[in-house]
Amino acid sequence: MADALPLAIPAGLPRPIRGYIRSIDAMNRFIGRVAMYMIFVLIGILLWSSFSKTFLTPTLWTLEMAQFVMVAYYILGGPYSIQLGSNVRMDLFYGGWSVRQKAWFDSITVFFLMFYLGVLFYGGLGSLSYSLGYFGLEPLEFFWQLAVAFFTGGPEAAGEILGFLERSSTAWRPYLWPIKTLLVLGVLLMLLQALAELFRDIGRIRGGEV
Amino acid sequence: MPYEMIALLMFSSMMLMLLTGQRVFGAIGFVGAAAGMLLWGVGGVDVPFSAAMKLMKWYPLLTLPMFIFMGYVLSESRIADDLYKMFHVWMGNVKGGLAIGTIGLMVLISAMNGLSVAGMAIGATIALPELLRRGYDKIMVTGVVQAGSSLGILVPPSVVLVLYAMIARQPVGQLWLAGVIPGLMMATMFIIYIYVRCRMQPHLGPPLSEEERNVPMAEKLRLLRAGLLPIFIFASMMVPFVNGWTSLVESSAIGAMTAFLAAILKGRMTKEVFENSVRNTLAISCMFMWIILAALGFGAIFDGLGAVKAIETLFTTQLGLNPWMILILMQLSFILMGTFLDDTAMLVIVAPLYVPLVGMLGFDLIWYGILYTITTQIAYMTPPFGYNLFLMRAMAPPEIGLMDIYRSIIPFVGIMIVALGLVMIFPQIALWLPEYVYGK
Repeated sequence: MADALPLAIPAGLPRPIRGYIRSIDAMNRFIGRVAMYMIFVLIGILLWSSFSKTFLTPTLWTLEMAQFVMVAYYILGGPYSIQLGSNVRMDLFYGGWSVRQKAWFDSITVFFLMFYLGVLFYGGLGSLSYSLGYFGLEPLEFFWQLAVAFFTGGPEAAGEILGFLERSSTAWRPYLWPIKTLLVLGVLLMLLQALAELFRDIGRIRGGEV
Repeated sequence: MPYEMIALLMFSSMMLMLLTGQRVFGAIGFVGAAAGMLLWGVGGVDVPFSAAMKLMKWYPLLTLPMFIFMGYVLSESRIADDLYKMFHVWMGNVKGGLAIGTIGLMVLISAMNGLSVAGMAIGATIALPELLRRGYDKIMVTGVVQAGSSLGILVPPSVVLVLYAMIARQPVGQLWLAGVIPGLMMATMFIIYIYVRCRMQPHLGPPLSEEERNVPMAEKLRLLRAGLLPIFIFASMMVPFVNGWTSLVESSAIGAMTAFLAAILKGRMTKEVFENSVRNTLAISCMFMWIILAALGFGAIFDGLGAVKAIETLFTTQLGLNPWMILILMQLSFILMGTFLDDTAMLVIVAPLYVPLVGMLGFDLIWYGILYTITTQIAYMTPPFGYNLFLMRAMAPPEIGLMDIYRSIIPFVGIMIVALGLVMIFPQIALWLPEYVYGK
């Protein structure tokens, strides 16, 4: 397991790029470390669930709340886990390469990763717009309208754009848009981290101290 | 293009992507997402994200971070170290007794956590040096620690079986119960092997010297208390679960809490231990979750193709194989793949293809879950790539070289293959307990 220290930033890169890497690293590290402690929130919810089930009336909300927390845990912790280097790779060939060779391959294949994250992101936007009551096929347009209405007419005008808010089909019936927003946000953070990794690899290829 | 061809193309492009060394979840996710878009256009864009919702709604998955946390608390805080002393004192008189005791130790640790890391950590850093110091053969003891710690994924609670349950859509509780007897059977086979081997070649595992053997009875009994800890942790999870007070997920949280509190009470939860266990839990959970997320997206598209049906037809009608021959071929290819594939990757690559096929051939999926886990155990240990091999190299004392580690596993892998064969021929070894408990 990699150590928890901040990652190195290659010196040979232009200043704005280095600034980008530094700020994304710092942001995702902070968010990831907040997510890290959610394991205790998760334990707490589940313990309360077993306690109330045994001694009081069983609660409706614990099961789904625990699921929401778990999603937040792994989605927001994802970019930090990339920083920690814990995402396994198949190292049949990869393990034997030099740092530069690895950087070369990664800087190409990271586009495949970003493609996947992009599809996840777009699908997430569609699903989020659905949960806010938009049933069409142009989620981007919907969010644009929402933003325009919000900035010109305030929250009330934005509320006009929203349709039927999707709820979970359980007894507790929570709204689904908050967790979907979190998912979309987490995927976006992953994309930003993947881009930072690409820049880092380019820096390694160009040489200079790492 | 016929569906078999598309399926084959998806599979081979995934293998190719994996070989580039990109993160496994990225490789699998990309092939799934790209195939979905090529096949269904805009409609396919939603598939990877809907996997995230499916993942969220799958309740037993909540046990995963719990058991990972438990495993790290146990291995980082070293609260199970006293267990080793207990076995040391009680088993030392027999030839090969310390090695046999180590297997017993591993079974107890396996009952407290669902991965093999904790067993490996205790085995490699405490048991191994002690055994070497007393003149045990280094190749044999290296094998003992590796084989023993691999029981962690077969004896409940088991993280591998949770993942399997998700893919095969089978109840986790039954799968765990199915793992109990095969796990104990395998441990017994290891013990018999060590005992017989040390009888024939006493220099491999000499009994303890006279003065070391002379432990007063009171001391011996005092050390037995160490055994209370795993029993207590196991009971804190299992008693409420078996009595129906809590669900499996809630029980796993109780277990995680008990392990955490035990570490605090024993004064072992230092700042460093806390940081390491919490951070590693996040890292490993994220690794698993993102791979499952990508694999679910991939699997949804694979399912949509009806590829499994096509492959089944190919085997049964066109090649004229009977289900058993296919099953044996599958296990052989699984072991073969395990020798050169990364294990986590293999888990998610193999399962979506093999599991539905097994179901379609008419085999019991609970039973296959056990075969699957034993095969994974073998894969964990076989060179050149094995999770346990790498852990071992990282943790073992320096005098144990990589070649020693490679050679050490040979007899134990042999035993595991025999165990695999036994469970195949006599499915009741796995199925009796869950059928008895659930009264099927």
